[in-house]
Amino acid sequence: MATIETDAEVATRLEFEQSQRSEGWKLLRGMLREQRRNLLLGAVIGISWAGFKTAVPQMTKNAINQGIEQDGPLVKWVVIIAGLGVLTGLLSGMRRYVAFRESRWAETLLRERLFAHVIGLNVGYHDKAQTGQLMSRASSDLMQIQGFIVMIPITLSNVIQIIAVTAILFYTDPVLALVALVPLPFVNISARRFSNRIHPASIAVQAEQAQLASVVEESVSGVRVIKGFGAEQVQFDKLRKEADDIFGETMKAAKIRSSFLPAIDVLPALGLVGVLGVGGHRVLNGQITIGDLVAFNVYLTLLIWPLRNIGMIVALGQRAAAALVRIHEVLSTESTISDPVNPQQLPSVAAGATTLGAVKFDHVQFGYSPEQPVLSNFTLDIAGGESIAIVGATGSGKSTVARLLLRFYDTNSGHVFLDGVDVRKLKLRDLRQQIGVVFEDTVLFNDTVAHNIAFAKPAARQQDLERAAKLAGAHDFIGELPHGYETVIGERGFSLSGGQRQRIAIARAIIADPRVLVLDDATSAVDPSKESEIREAMRTVMSGRTTIVIAHRPGTIALADRVVLLDGATIAAIGTHEQLAATNTRYREVLASMDQPKKVAN
Amino acid sequence: MWNTGGGVTDEDRLSRAQARTIIGRVFKMASPFRKTMYMGFACVIVTTCCALAAPVIVRHGIDAGIRAKNTQALNQSVVMYLAVVALSYIFGRMLFLYVNRTGEMFLRVLRLAVFRQMQRQSMAFFDRNKAGVLVARMTADIESMAELVQFGLLQFLSAGLMLVFSIVVLLILSWQLTLVAMCVMPIIVLASIKFQHDSNKAYLTVRERVGANLSALQEGITTVRVIQAYAQEEETKAKFFTSNRALFQSHERSVRISTWYFALVEFSGVFASALMIGIGGWLVHRGDVTLGTVVAFTLLISSLFDPVQQLSQLYNTVQSAGAALSKLFAILDAKPEVDEHPAAITLPASGVLKVDNVSFTYATGEHPALNAVSISVAPGEKLALVGPTGAGKSTLAKLMARMYDPVSGTVSYGGVDLTMGSMDSLRQRIVVVPQEGFLFNGTIRDNLRIAKITATDAEIDAAVDAISATEHFAQFPDGLDTEVRERGSRLSAGERQLVALARAALVDPAVLVLDEATSNLDPGTEAEVERALERLMSGRTVIVVAHRLSTVQRADHIAVIDAAQVAEYGTHTELIAKNGRYAALANAWQTSQIVN
Repeated sequence: MATIETDAEVATRLEFEQSQRSEGWKLLRGMLREQRRNLLLGAVIGISWAGFKTAVPQMTKNAINQGIEQDGPLVKWVVIIAGLGVLTGLLSGMRRYVAFRESRWAETLLRERLFAHVIGLNVGYHDKAQTGQLMSRASSDLMQIQGFIVMIPITLSNVIQIIAVTAILFYTDPVLALVALVPLPFVNISARRFSNRIHPASIAVQAEQAQLASVVEESVSGVRVIKGFGAEQVQFDKLRKEADDIFGETMKAAKIRSSFLPAIDVLPALGLVGVLGVGGHRVLNGQITIGDLVAFNVYLTLLIWPLRNIGMIVALGQRAAAALVRIHEVLSTESTISDPVNPQQLPSVAAGATTLGAVKFDHVQFGYSPEQPVLSNFTLDIAGGESIAIVGATGSGKSTVARLLLRFYDTNSGHVFLDGVDVRKLKLRDLRQQIGVVFEDTVLFNDTVAHNIAFAKPAARQQDLERAAKLAGAHDFIGELPHGYETVIGERGFSLSGGQRQRIAIARAIIADPRVLVLDDATSAVDPSKESEIREAMRTVMSGRTTIVIAHRPGTIALADRVVLLDGATIAAIGTHEQLAATNTRYREVLASMDQPKKVAN
Repeated sequence: MWNTGGGVTDEDRLSRAQARTIIGRVFKMASPFRKTMYMGFACVIVTTCCALAAPVIVRHGIDAGIRAKNTQALNQSVVMYLAVVALSYIFGRMLFLYVNRTGEMFLRVLRLAVFRQMQRQSMAFFDRNKAGVLVARMTADIESMAELVQFGLLQFLSAGLMLVFSIVVLLILSWQLTLVAMCVMPIIVLASIKFQHDSNKAYLTVRERVGANLSALQEGITTVRVIQAYAQEEETKAKFFTSNRALFQSHERSVRISTWYFALVEFSGVFASALMIGIGGWLVHRGDVTLGTVVAFTLLISSLFDPVQQLSQLYNTVQSAGAALSKLFAILDAKPEVDEHPAAITLPASGVLKVDNVSFTYATGEHPALNAVSISVAPGEKLALVGPTGAGKSTLAKLMARMYDPVSGTVSYGGVDLTMGSMDSLRQRIVVVPQEGFLFNGTIRDNLRIAKITATDAEIDAAVDAISATEHFAQFPDGLDTEVRERGSRLSAGERQLVALARAALVDPAVLVLDEATSNLDPGTEAEVERALERLMSGRTVIVVAHRLSTVQRADHIAVIDAAQVAEYGTHTELIAKNGRYAALANAWQTSQIVN
């Protein structure tokens, strides 16, 4: 059963939504304030356009009354009308330009703000956030906002135009004005209602299209299974259902269009009929001139678009407001990990330090959620230059150790030190530049090999690149790539094997010569026959450098000076591999579970 | 709001002949619902006539009514005007329904036809065409036509008719003023053509940069851990800003193009009515035309210019729809390579699976994936295929299940060439279990039934039981009726593999072709999968593409496939004794298992 809100709860919720909305509008106002000069210019252009545009029918009327009905000066009026044509043409172009340019600029700046903010948010945020959600903030939500901003100057001049035209009509003939204008507010109302109703309908169509896409997608990726069992008909039936659903939803949208759009077209025509009927009689009675009648006709056509647009902007504004609220939500999220107010410096050789890269975990307590500690009372001293393998069953917190050192997360209690300085007292950049990481899932960028390796040190020279690549055992195969170091790799580039990717990631980790190297088992994604090559590269880069290896494969453990066994959120044993293997049953169990498939083999 | 329609690249532009063929095929596909289509056409004609009749009626009202001081004529024209408005409303509503219905019915037929044809294709087709491209054909390409179907088609028809009809009406009213209007027309036509061309180019740039910007965005978000770990936030931001500014510039450029165009269009409209009044006024004085005609012309001038604009903007939409259609028709025309022989017979219930002198190439001109391979597997025998990656062992396994047909040589079962066997019997005799258990959206039971649509619940339960997985699946909240969620994300890799094995058990084939997983499964289900596999294999002929020593050791025979050929063949002991490639491979496997 749905929970029923009390009045007080409803009130609080509404208040909250209201405050969110006003925050969203505040964000928009702040953005627009920076562009106010150009927006003002746009408004001035729009208003002048409206003025000149409104003058055209007046001149037409004069031309007819004086130039055609009488023997007055016709050419004069014709020249004036043509001149107004030049002006309205230029101004309408400029209005468009300013409106679109400014709205795109606002969108561009907001997208940059959003990206910069998201990139800076702590890893804890990203672990929970969905990429798709963030993407749609920066794409479709921004599009809604852009679509709204572009309408602002246009709407402004439309409003002016409506007011001016209405005034002129009433001034010319109040009775006829009333007849002509009565149907027009309905244009506005219909346009607004149409916009509100067609939006959910087109979203429903999109949702159905997405479902069809997922049937196609699974049918293509699962084609082996389908063909293997001759299940084509099953998938075809699924597809037919989705195609029928799309048909149904699009026809619903078509019905909405058919019940609004012809009406929106017809309403102003009713005004025109009224003008001809009532106005015609008034001309016959001598109350107005025939020129007035023609002018009325032209004026009415001038009102159609502005009224439709104003109807739409209400709906656009509602959607933009919702988008603004969502964007504001992201922008107002503060990173929980940030630089300290008074940062300290790491000791350096220049400052008299002897060995660098000492890491210390001191009574560290940590859990991703408070109820479930991942590490508790975790204390570990790693000397500069020492290599440590961390071993544990899945979920024992192996990777968390590295995350705390990198300050992806802060400890709940206890401290992490690098060369005697609490990591929380260091600038993030200073800390992280001293730590080279190879992640378990090697993430490479869609870029050249050179840029991938030089990621941590964009200014690196070619010889630096090659030195790092040689150490990582990557230089040889890079030389065999089609464009060597300039080969573009990644999703849209040359595809590398798991082992090759790992070695590039290792080169990336060591190019800046960090004090500490963290290898989140660099061999786990690699074909067993290629494992030894990586292990060789790892052995080379580890020598003389503090290294923390998060080990998933037994062969990797052997590379480390000492092994730490994590069990039950804390250090269960510590020693060399031989010592632990000889004395500790739990260690042997964990090793065995890590090597499950091979145990079966024996 | 301004819209260039779909952008169309130069290579996508269709020649006249191509366009004609496509239009012909479209009409043929639309023939089942041609009545709806004709109704749509009829509605377009009526509404267009209504739109043009209105100014003519206004003219009548002014000339015959007001200027002639004839109240009756004035009232007459008011009534006529009202009737025309009512007519255009009624037919306008019907128009939307009929035209949209026609278009959507066409898209539906197209979706079904393309999908069906895609499914009839052989595996080779799916190897050649990337999954993403095939999905795009069925989604983006068809959806790109939706715009045309919903608005474009309608606009296209009414704009075309409007243009023709209004020239006719104008000529009837006054040839002199029509001539004047025609003088302004070239400005609009030329401007529209140039705009259409420039804005298409600008749009393509925008589209490309939007894509680049989105990828930069996505890359930034998905790689945020690496970026932060290496403290490269500032550099990444700078890179993103560059792509973002480039996008802005392309937007700015495309707005600038439209600025000039719309300025010119607006100017031409006003300028044309100035000319109408000027020259028209002069003609009125001469007594050649009436004032009502002049007024009608100033009202009609937009019915002449607007269609030109609309048509030029639709040009791109129509072109890109044509390009999409020609790609879709290419799929409809593709002949399935592995198809049932017209005189196909049922394969025998059991027999020797024999590969005889088979050669195979994935694409013409490429190195052969298999070169004159012969091998045979007796009923109940277990054959392991080993060898380096890309040497052809998977290809051989696939040919043995007729995923492909050999280029030369034959694969036969019980003496019957597989190409002569019926597809139904083939799938009952030989089942392939791929490396990873692939799941479809739906319940576990739905996923099992893929293997045998007619299977009863009891049969499915029996199949699950046959691989001893009943207990495991019973742990799920709804047992076998548990939704697997998107792509089976609710199930672990091992559980997905269990589903794949249960599917095979449901078919109960004589021959099992297994592609062993290279990576490790979750330790929890690993043992269960092993056990299920063991039970499934017992009593059946098995061909396994092996990556593990344990699997190989259990096989009756081992074939080492190297460089598209059978390099070694024999039992484990024989091949070890031979001390050749297999012995080296077995040795490498052995060492990688030992710590240190």
